[in-house]
Amino acid sequence: MDLETLLSFKWGIMTPEFIILGAITLLSLLDLFMPKTVNRKLLGWLGLAGILGALVSLVTLIGNGPESILFDTFRLDSFAIAFKLLLLIGAALVFLIATSYETKEGLDEYRGEFYYLFLAALLGAMMMSSSGDLITLFIGLELLSISSYILVGIRKKNRQSNESAMKYVINGGISTSFTLFGMSYVYGLTGTTNLLDMARHVVMLTDSQHIYLLGLAFFMIFIGLSFKLATAPFHMWAPDVYQGAATPVTAFLSVVSKTAGFILIVRILMVIFYNIPSEGLGTMPLLLKLQDYLAFLAAATMIIGNVIALRQKNIKRLFAYSSIAQAGYLLVVVTSMSAFLFDTLWFYLGAYLFMNLGAFAIIQLVTQKAGSEDISEFAGLYRKAPFLAIAMAVFILSLAGIPGTAGFIGKLNIFMGALVTEPSHYVLVSIMIATTVVSYFYYFGVMVQMFFRPAVEQVKFKLPAGLGVVIGICLFATILFGVAPNIALDFLQTNFNQFSDFFQ
Amino acid sequence: MENAWIIPLFPLLSFLFLIFFGKRLKDASAYIGILLSLASFVYSLLVLFERFTSPTHKAESVWLTIGDVQLTAGFEVNQLNALMLVIVSLVSFLVHTYSKGYMHGDERIHVYYAYLGLFTFAMLGLVLSPNLLQTYIFWELVGLGSFLLIGFYFYKDEAKRAAKKAFIMTRIGDVGLLIGMILLFWQAGSFEYDEIFAAVEAGAISSTMITLTAILIFIGAMGKSGQFPLHTWLPDAMEGPTPVSALIHAATMVAAGVYLVASLFPLFTASETALMTVAIVGAFTAIFAASIGLVQKDIKRVLAFSTVSQLGYMMLALGSAGYVAGVFHLMTHAFFKALLFLAAGSVIHAVHTQDIEKMGGLWKKLRVTGPLFLIGTLAISGVPLFSGFFSKDEILIAAWAHGNTVLFWLAVVAAFFTAFYMFRLFFMVFAGESRTDMKHVKESPSVMTIPMVVLAVLAVVAGYVNTPWFGTFLGDWLTDGNPALGHGHIEGPAWIMIVATIVSLLGIFLAWLIYSKRSLARDWLGASTLYNVLYNKYYIDELYEVTILKVTKGISVLLRFIETFLVEGIVKGVAGAVSGLGHVGSKFQNGQIQRYGTVAFIGVAILIVVFTVTGGYLK
Repeated sequence: MDLETLLSFKWGIMTPEFIILGAITLLSLLDLFMPKTVNRKLLGWLGLAGILGALVSLVTLIGNGPESILFDTFRLDSFAIAFKLLLLIGAALVFLIATSYETKEGLDEYRGEFYYLFLAALLGAMMMSSSGDLITLFIGLELLSISSYILVGIRKKNRQSNESAMKYVINGGISTSFTLFGMSYVYGLTGTTNLLDMARHVVMLTDSQHIYLLGLAFFMIFIGLSFKLATAPFHMWAPDVYQGAATPVTAFLSVVSKTAGFILIVRILMVIFYNIPSEGLGTMPLLLKLQDYLAFLAAATMIIGNVIALRQKNIKRLFAYSSIAQAGYLLVVVTSMSAFLFDTLWFYLGAYLFMNLGAFAIIQLVTQKAGSEDISEFAGLYRKAPFLAIAMAVFILSLAGIPGTAGFIGKLNIFMGALVTEPSHYVLVSIMIATTVVSYFYYFGVMVQMFFRPAVEQVKFKLPAGLGVVIGICLFATILFGVAPNIALDFLQTNFNQFSDFFQ
Repeated sequence: MENAWIIPLFPLLSFLFLIFFGKRLKDASAYIGILLSLASFVYSLLVLFERFTSPTHKAESVWLTIGDVQLTAGFEVNQLNALMLVIVSLVSFLVHTYSKGYMHGDERIHVYYAYLGLFTFAMLGLVLSPNLLQTYIFWELVGLGSFLLIGFYFYKDEAKRAAKKAFIMTRIGDVGLLIGMILLFWQAGSFEYDEIFAAVEAGAISSTMITLTAILIFIGAMGKSGQFPLHTWLPDAMEGPTPVSALIHAATMVAAGVYLVASLFPLFTASETALMTVAIVGAFTAIFAASIGLVQKDIKRVLAFSTVSQLGYMMLALGSAGYVAGVFHLMTHAFFKALLFLAAGSVIHAVHTQDIEKMGGLWKKLRVTGPLFLIGTLAISGVPLFSGFFSKDEILIAAWAHGNTVLFWLAVVAAFFTAFYMFRLFFMVFAGESRTDMKHVKESPSVMTIPMVVLAVLAVVAGYVNTPWFGTFLGDWLTDGNPALGHGHIEGPAWIMIVATIVSLLGIFLAWLIYSKRSLARDWLGASTLYNVLYNKYYIDELYEVTILKVTKGISVLLRFIETFLVEGIVKGVAGAVSGLGHVGSKFQNGQIQRYGTVAFIGVAILIVVFTVTGGYLK
């Protein structure tokens, strides 16, 4: 590659990534050369500025047709823009949560790393959503994963944190090997790593043995990636890791990392496996034949997440199982593959982002204050801090899918999507409804603590500005998209042209 | 009428205002709540009057677009809505006023009024909804308001448990509603009431589907309206403040289930099976709850079971195609039951106990509450000339005319029970002498008695809007221009009215013999030695005791048994199984990373083996 080709690329479409990369570089250099006495929180605000800058530049890119550079390895289509928006908003909120994070052991030595590792993980997630090639996809995935491993273990002097990091690394390793193994089959059968080229290849497949191999590859890739989603059967790491990690990291894993996982899975499934004919030219796509397996995994995930959550006493573990359950609902979207798959997925991920990050902001505040993560620390919150309790109630109601909140609209979309497709997935919907009912028990357990239990001691809460902003934004968005969801859906309709450029 | 959407906004304003500024206002917050609820009542009244002369008004706009499906939001004022608006806002206003006295001195009074506002907002919003989805949203909000109000005394364990139980039990019903709603949407392509009815009429939905969806929606109504077997939360919900019981568990939220069935009436009439289900569940609930009411000792629990039983009556009416009868009884019941609850609250306020064994002789001490309670009791017992008489009569006629002979007689027996237990309650509380040492029993302040007086007047006169003697204004108006709802008035044989009267008087007489007479005799006996002279009188009492009471008590014990072991057993069994599963699951999660990897590996292995076998790749 000579300089001329290098310069001929439309680098403009990568601006958001460049801004993040620049921020990472700047932050790590500053962290290295700044005197020890300077408060590293400054770096947090700089990082936040970087994310916001990337967000702005991404917004200006809205409406750009599908373009790709670097020999089609990096592509910017409406799918990538829409989901990167979620990633950046999520990361910005996580950053705000992180700036108010304190530990008993003291985090000051690593606070700088803490911030730029977040940015590195975010960069990985963004690359994943924009990649048009298995190689970049995998690199993005690994960048996200490795940064997350370190983030989980950032509290180096805390045993739980170390244990979590260890578990996370090992499980991550297993999952990666699954994914790579599956990918190697696809590569072997098509001779290319470019996603769209692969699609063009597999359409022509007629040999049923090859299709069978691709079926195997599908399972390998899907199971491997289900590690990122924390869905069955690769969900078991989540409670242990969520519990041990620092709260902002947990929030990051449960929202940003999960969103990235869904972006990746949808891209691979829809581009490659949707184009594989199940029995030779022009027949039903292999992916539709495999729907039942996906449905089974979705059902198992919803049941496991919701049922085991009933027994949890630790709030972060509870939210770990809750996030497994939520991932199960999202898998229902993927399984049903309705005409508005992207819209539904995008909306639910957005709603989930706000309600879950809002809840985590409050969890961090309460657990940090109490020094314990037991659910009973929420007792009497309503009397101690009515605003916090009401905000938490809204987030929980939204997670439970009670009308008037964004979570309800998201669930409604999922139901409709699963029912309007042919054949309709009413069994899956029934399981989803039944497990949702189960979820009320543990969600309302938290509500009962906050509203109906007396507080052990009366302490005033001082709400740090960062957390206040996060809670305010999340509260506003959760209610706004619950009452007027069309704002978000119209935005999607007018700006992304129904994601029609996905296959171009 | 174009501005009817403002009505729910007053209480919402009250809620928001009090939540944010209530703490500073303290007692003054009551006035804000009262004023704003008065505003919505006045507005509702205007809307009702306007609705008499002008046609149904409906306004909607697009709310949500998914794919090419458009969902709308808006409001509608038809006859039923207009009537409900007035009932809800009136009772709410009266309860707001009454609470000023009842909750006086409670340091969280602003929170109480805020919750009342939230609840009223949700209930009024529910009533105005023109489509199922919007109804569902407010339906849940109503449940939330009720959850908060029942659990208001959160420092009491029972209150906490009751709040949770109420929420979860009604949610179980709501799942039925949600599924039914989604199925209807799937079949009719819309959540709009009008379009669903049009689809039903055009035969676009198969008859089995109509039956299925109607029954699923009825399950939702059963949860909210406390129909068997989802009724268990309602008696427990009495842990909330008494005015709340008057508002939520007498006049509004529990009536929401009846209202839902009434507003989807054309769907139900399209399926004979669905109607029959509604009628049977209603009639069974009516007699089941009434028989339990016979033996309760807590003044509010008697009223709670009575509410369950009366709601069963309304369901029976609707299930017997008696649309007017059901709605009519919903209205009269709202007035007299709210009155009874408020009067009971006034009694509790005076004597600080809810146990009727400890009361007695309060007639002389509570000179205002006593007569008011009596009016309510007469109305609910179906004594002629009181409102309950006319509406209950309509229901019995509807059941008879629809050919439900068995259900008709069940309803008659339930009417007898009703008269009996209500007067038992009345005599035990007010008649005779006080059974415990009660000093300082003071009548409630006028801020509490005046709302009761208003309700008492309505409990007497509300029946006259729809009588076989003076014309059936209500019925004609409700069904005007809507043949799908049936006739304004169903003609029935005259003997039904006579039977109903006899049965209720008999119940009252029996209660008087047992509870009033005996206590008189007992007192007199204590002062005299003429034991034998009075033996016969006692003998009659004993006879009643042995025959009628034993039998009814037997039935009620049996039904209690069903309740505690069968219904609660199933509920507990399911809950236990789920939580057991959770236990196994969390045990399985042992922190060993090897196990986690193994699970993933086994998962892949199973999937691949199944894929290989079912795909025929092993051949």
